[in-house]
Amino acid sequence: MAFIKLNDLEIEVEDGTNIVEAAREHGIEVPHYCYHPGLSRPANCRMCLIDVYLRSSEMPERQLATGCTTTVRSAPPDKKLDGKYDIIVRTDSPRVIKAREDILEFLLVHHPLDCPVCDQAGECDLQDFSYRHGHDKSRYIEVKNIPPKKDLGPDVLLYSTRCIVCTRCIRFCDEVSGSGELGLINRGSHDEIDIPRSHEGIPIQLLDNKLAGNVVDICPVGALISKDFLFKSRPWFMEKANSVCSGCSVGCNVTVEYKADGLYRIKPRFHEDINQHWMCDDGRLGYHYVNSDDRLQLPQKRVDGELVTTQWADALAFITENLSEVDAADIVVIGSAQGTNEDNYVLQQFAHDVLKTTQLGLFGQLHGEEHKFPQFTIEADKNPNTAGARTVLGYANGNVVLEGNELWEKVAGAKIVYLVSGVPERSLEDAEREALEKVDFLIVQDVLPSAATELADVVLPGTTFAEKDGTFTNSTGWVQRIRKSIDPPGEAQVDWEITQQLAKRLGGEIDYHFAGEIAIAIAENVPGYGDATHQNIGDTGIKLD
Amino acid sequence: MSDEIIQIETPFQFNEENKREFDELIGRYPVKEAAMLPTLHLAQRQAGYISPAVMKYVAELLELSVMKVKDVVTFYPMFFEEPVGKYVIRVCHTLPCALRDCKVVLEHLKAKLGTDIASETNLAKGTTDDGKFTLMKVECLASCDVAPVIMVNDDLYKNLTPEMVDELLEQLPN
Repeated sequence: MAFIKLNDLEIEVEDGTNIVEAAREHGIEVPHYCYHPGLSRPANCRMCLIDVYLRSSEMPERQLATGCTTTVRSAPPDKKLDGKYDIIVRTDSPRVIKAREDILEFLLVHHPLDCPVCDQAGECDLQDFSYRHGHDKSRYIEVKNIPPKKDLGPDVLLYSTRCIVCTRCIRFCDEVSGSGELGLINRGSHDEIDIPRSHEGIPIQLLDNKLAGNVVDICPVGALISKDFLFKSRPWFMEKANSVCSGCSVGCNVTVEYKADGLYRIKPRFHEDINQHWMCDDGRLGYHYVNSDDRLQLPQKRVDGELVTTQWADALAFITENLSEVDAADIVVIGSAQGTNEDNYVLQQFAHDVLKTTQLGLFGQLHGEEHKFPQFTIEADKNPNTAGARTVLGYANGNVVLEGNELWEKVAGAKIVYLVSGVPERSLEDAEREALEKVDFLIVQDVLPSAATELADVVLPGTTFAEKDGTFTNSTGWVQRIRKSIDPPGEAQVDWEITQQLAKRLGGEIDYHFAGEIAIAIAENVPGYGDATHQNIGDTGIKLD
Repeated sequence: MSDEIIQIETPFQFNEENKREFDELIGRYPVKEAAMLPTLHLAQRQAGYISPAVMKYVAELLELSVMKVKDVVTFYPMFFEEPVGKYVIRVCHTLPCALRDCKVVLEHLKAKLGTDIASETNLAKGTTDDGKFTLMKVECLASCDVAPVIMVNDDLYKNLTPEMVDELLEQLPN
């Protein structure tokens, strides 16, 4: 640990921390553009200039230093300033303040004043720092450079005029995705970010790697823009919820941004051990099914071979009629790897305590491809909660959780199957379809019409990750919170609530009021989940032993 | 989005002599990326200009992304991204040459060749119809003591007058 003086604060800082981070921890803003904690530090924007005292506590060093590359380490006893400080730093001296103003004036030389039509307005570092640290006017009276707007790839647009050439996006493609599609063309004040193109402007390579969307997040200005979000909403009109991506078993921490009419975008949220600052485009753009007009909104039941919409009471009564006459050995209950631990806990409780069956199964998205990048991995298991669902469904005495062929063999011989799916755009493989066709009475709980709901006798409208509270357990054993952002469409209900209503109708004693209550039951009963209450999990999650 | 990516129909490759030269020069640098400039010079000498095919080839040789090569090619004015004439005439127009009447030399060249002056983004504008000459203005050629100067490909010509230009152009083989 180093002991430093930062403006008038005396603080202890870990060795190797840079001044931007040290100051941020103590609520002092050191404005910066090119520096990003997840990338290398070229110190090219010159925005984070600070005064450093290295040899005397009276006189700062002759030149200002960049805060991002000034790291702190403990000095030998005879080199300490005033006998105790390892370094003294001022971020508020008159010449630092003057330097910031001047740098900002330079950065704004070619920047257009198009904030009113810019997507970034409201979450723009250039806007914020200009307001807090900048001049009120520019002395530049010459003609501005107007480089063209460019299409870089499937989801990314570049408004070159707004670019301040911090090179974060270039370093991201070099260091994190390792694909190196981006670079600078031309030189000096004509520098532009671009993908490689022929002289006529035809791309040689597109920015189309699976992490490309991150360059939009790290762009400190409105230069790199997501086509998916372009002109959709002003950032300040959206609500935010901290959640977890449901796209694969990595469990990237995300912020879901939404309005009353649906989700608008998903952005990664920092987690040191899981996704750092990043997420993949599959997860980022995979939310559209949540907003789909096709979402199941009312229960359906099969009448004369046709599925017709009905009321909850009718659908549930129809199920209880059929369930009550059947032997427990002929019932299979299948949980979902897309569902939360809470959904699956109530489901297994329903199976074990009410239906008295120990035959459970696990259903989920089909396996995809694994993608490895130098600093990021997208996993092949496209379900967010395979690990959690498997443990929670299987913990109780005698429960068997079947998967794959074993499951479908069992289903083929069953009379009643209760399949909780919630898996978007899931097709059925031949063996799965054949098995489900043989079932006498098939209950499917899903979010969208699917191959499974087509075969069902009763369809119950469930909810997606965006419409419920709960926890997911990722492939490395992190239990993390997902949070409700929007209301379910129509009369769709949270999955565990549907199961609980069914249980009550069959005389079961399952009575939870909110997801946190179920999490407490999980913590009490499921081995390894002892600490996994919602309160403990918080925003950072907890790791199972 | 136009998902169209340029299709390289005829890939570029060093001829045997240049391949040998490349193998020799790559050994002089601690990392492959450092050999970028000499490799590009070599390639431009063979191909005439740096086409997408050349960029791809150089990127593969040096184990870099294509963008890293494009980056360097667009940085330096000595690399051409479109075809140029057999002889590239660079007329210096920095202050000492300007004081020594480089404008006369330039105007004379324009009239004689019947072409405009090329710009960095439009070399065709300064290239003669027969593809023999490309005329361009450049900044200092570091020979102010013998101004005005021009460079024809790799050779420097000093203390020029319009008459000397005529003589020079006649000497150049077709």
